[in-house]
Amino acid sequence: MFSRFVFLLALVTVYFSTTHASIGGYICPSDKKKLFAVLVKALINEEGDFSTPYYGVKGFKLLNEQLPTVLVKDNCAHIKQFYKPDSSPEENFQALTAWNLLGCTGKLQTDATVTHLRTILENTKASTAEIRYAAEALKLLNIAIPNGQKVAQIIQSRLKEDDSLQSLGHALHAAALLGTAGNFILDRIEEVVVQADEVDGKLLQWEGGLTTTSLLITGLLRIPGARPLTAEQAEKLAAYLLTRRTVQTSKGALALIEAATSLAVSDVTPVSISIIDILGRPLKTPPSPVVAQSATRITDDVVVLSKQPLSPGANPVEFVLPLRLEPGQYRIALSAGTHSTTLTVRVLGPVTIEWVQIGLSDADGSAAPRLTKLQHPSKLPAALHADSSQHLTLKLSISRVIHQAFLRLYSGKKEIIFVAEPDSSKLYKIDVNLASELAHSGTFEMELILGDSVMSNPLRWTLGTLEANLNIAEPQKKSVRGPKPEIKHLFRPAEKRPPEAVSLLFTGLTAAPLVLLLILWLKIGINFGNFTTLSIPFHLGFGGILYLFALFWWKLDMFTTCAWLIPIGGFTFLAGQKLLSQIAKQKKP
Amino acid sequence: MPQIGSVISKFYTEYNTKTPKKLKVIDAYLLYILLTGIVQFVYCCLVGTFPFNSFLSGFISCVSSFVLAVCLRLQVNPENKSQFSGISPERGFADFIFAHVVLHLVVMNFIG
Repeated sequence: MFSRFVFLLALVTVYFSTTHASIGGYICPSDKKKLFAVLVKALINEEGDFSTPYYGVKGFKLLNEQLPTVLVKDNCAHIKQFYKPDSSPEENFQALTAWNLLGCTGKLQTDATVTHLRTILENTKASTAEIRYAAEALKLLNIAIPNGQKVAQIIQSRLKEDDSLQSLGHALHAAALLGTAGNFILDRIEEVVVQADEVDGKLLQWEGGLTTTSLLITGLLRIPGARPLTAEQAEKLAAYLLTRRTVQTSKGALALIEAATSLAVSDVTPVSISIIDILGRPLKTPPSPVVAQSATRITDDVVVLSKQPLSPGANPVEFVLPLRLEPGQYRIALSAGTHSTTLTVRVLGPVTIEWVQIGLSDADGSAAPRLTKLQHPSKLPAALHADSSQHLTLKLSISRVIHQAFLRLYSGKKEIIFVAEPDSSKLYKIDVNLASELAHSGTFEMELILGDSVMSNPLRWTLGTLEANLNIAEPQKKSVRGPKPEIKHLFRPAEKRPPEAVSLLFTGLTAAPLVLLLILWLKIGINFGNFTTLSIPFHLGFGGILYLFALFWWKLDMFTTCAWLIPIGGFTFLAGQKLLSQIAKQKKP
Repeated sequence: MPQIGSVISKFYTEYNTKTPKKLKVIDAYLLYILLTGIVQFVYCCLVGTFPFNSFLSGFISCVSSFVLAVCLRLQVNPENKSQFSGISPERGFADFIFAHVVLHLVVMNFIG
């Protein structure tokens, strides 16, 4: 099956260079969209500083995009509200730049601003960053930098104390603004460039991440008359920037855009002789002729075409290469003018289904399977009724071998996926043992899924329903959310009590010995001869204790009982002692 | 058989004549407690132990009272005077009362 593959050269960035490897990719429209989203967020999330509006506005400007009017108004008002002439040079620069780029009406700066910025330039303690931003701000206000030589000297002395990459980066920018007075920085360029770290031989970056790398790229490329970067270095820096396309902070987004813009417009950029630049902008003079030198199939290295010129497309930088190739992956060597590169392309092609058969077969293979032929996209006329002794069989024949052929059985959120085994001659077969694969009975939808990395018509085809009856009921669904079933507390039920008559009888029986006791005592001849007035308190106290115990049984708790028991018991003890010692005394004589 | 009868009648007369009156009172009390305990035990055998704690406290009360009463009887018995020389009958009675107060506090707590 041949397919026509339209190859749009304009959509792929090619860094042409006669001697160097090339890289693919550029900041494509979808990347730009993401960057815009970050920048717009920066414009809305205003806090008290000017950095976020600055990042947003500057980013939009560099990408040649119009800001919505609402945002312009809001940000102008915001800057006006928070601007102070004596804030730091960086804030001053950001506020003034944003003000200019937004096109706000009126004048933001005052005389105080200018005086403040000038004093910073004369201050020998100012850092290179402060000097750079002060100089940038003055330039923005169209005010000449006073005494360039002296500023250059201050920068040099500051660099002796602090030669970090950040400091050097700002010094580069400041020197670029000083004109001839900034020529001292040329000696430093090499020092900066050698500090860049190479990653895997493919990327080049400076320690400190995107912000520092961007600061140094823009700084280096800003110096007039210098050619700091070789084409190879520029390529690797561009490759690094492309790895950071998904940056999420507004500061990072602006750093990325600035560096990319700076690389794209510089004369060392490899993009300058490519068909589009790193930001996806067409070149003014596209090179010609554009020729596909060769196309090689990656799997077996067979050359399928050679020396085929590309015909011009819709616009001057678009070239079309008609590929009449088998679906698959190809490596295409292209040349444009004197430059060449290699691209990997995938040729897609449709897959047609010759036939599909689905049905049930017996597990023991005793009877021939009953298969039904289906045509896409028709469904089975009736559901398949299967029991646990049967297999579900699916056979299909397709035009070429594909990577993914699945049968999906699903019911609600549950699904089981079976992989089709390729048989001989592009024939796929799935045999599902229903008894072992399905956990319970139920009705399942059957879906055939076909896909491949070079298939242009991937397919999901609902074949019909399967009613499996496996004698295992579908388990009750447990809802994950919602109220739990109420917990009912059950106290141990009281045991069966005897009839009231029995209870009363035994109460009587238990009490009966008391009567016997009294009778016996009377018989023995009990008397109260020793009863005197002295024994009244003791008997009262003892009676009190017994009454207290009865109360304890009825309603009191242990603490109250003990609290009462102590005084009553004490009284009884004293009374009893008195009484008994009296009796003992009477006996002795 | 008549011999057993004569032994019993002799034992009864001996008891009646030789035992002090106080001990007879205590013996009557012991008999009363014994019978009460037996009735409770019979109930438990015939009907069941539910509610168990009530049965237990009642039965324990009987057993403990019986033990305490036996102790009192031993201390009060003039024949045992040599063994309990330091303890007068009044002191024994006071101990008996005190032990009952403590015992029945527990029993009441347990009766439910």
